[in-house]
Amino acid sequence: MSVTERRSLQEEITLLDLVDRVLNAGVVLHGDITLSVAGVDLVYVGLRVLLASVGTLEELEARSER
Amino acid sequence: MIAASAATVLYVYGIVGADAADDVEREVASAALGQTPRLLRAGSLAALVSEVPLAEFGADVLPERLNDRDWLEERVQAHEDVLEAALARTTVIPFRFGAIYHGNGDVARMLGERRRELEEALERVRGRVELGVKAYVDRQLLEERLRSASREASSEGAGAGRAYLLGRQAERRVVAEADEACAAAIAEAHERLSAIAVDARVNRPQPRELSGRPEQMLLNGAYLVERGDSRIESEVESLRTAYRGLGIAFELTGPWPPYNFVDDEEAAA
Repeated sequence: MSVTERRSLQEEITLLDLVDRVLNAGVVLHGDITLSVAGVDLVYVGLRVLLASVGTLEELEARSER
Repeated sequence: MIAASAATVLYVYGIVGADAADDVEREVASAALGQTPRLLRAGSLAALVSEVPLAEFGADVLPERLNDRDWLEERVQAHEDVLEAALARTTVIPFRFGAIYHGNGDVARMLGERRRELEEALERVRGRVELGVKAYVDRQLLEERLRSASREASSEGAGAGRAYLLGRQAERRVVAEADEACAAAIAEAHERLSAIAVDARVNRPQPRELSGRPEQMLLNGAYLVERGDSRIESEVESLRTAYRGLGIAFELTGPWPPYNFVDDEEAAA
């Protein structure tokens, strides 16, 4: 079920490997459609996630290592 | 009106060609995913989408959610699992995490408005997958190897004071040589891998605090290859053999959806 079991080439997939791609790469369509959900402009959610991910990870790892 | 707590939005994982949509739909239905996505077809394209709770994905709560490791891991894994299930059947255009739309109409409109760009991206990666290659250096081992090499070269016949000075000089030289050896190793590795790949990207090395590994990451490369092409694998094996003695290790991951090869705006981001 996990990514690890289904992969053919990899030795070790960490959350960091996943986040490196899923949060930091891939198509981002911002600035094209103004999405308004519950009155909140979501156009820049992708960007916010990107910015948030750095701080998020630092905190994550600090927690998991101690 | 629906109560806010029950409200959902549409999460878009990525895009496939409409010609493969039926195939992908069957695959994701049988893939035992945490959440079975559906395919939203529009013209030549189809989006992989799931309804997700607004309470989790709203712009106001998402940054906070991302600080919840369990939530993040589950959602990031789900994103990857869906795209990998699709990748088993066809070419995939992965979206970055968190592409949220209000409803079917918004996704259909997005597919319409960005059709050309998405079709071009699909053509660029058609039949291709991404492989990841990371290189790590055991700096202590590398410096030891260089130190013993220089000791062999110049150890004889100096007095104590002079030997001390020579020793300090030699140590500085070892550090400089280690830096050079690392730079040369990643340059050679990336060049050899890029020569095989259709396209290549170098990403920022993952910092040690995040990787949790004692070794320093030297290379965090992504390589676009034809599906089933095993040459990168062989090349990594050959790099491993060549650099093992210097304490430089190579790791291969994938095949991944081509995350690093679908966004033209990447360079500007």
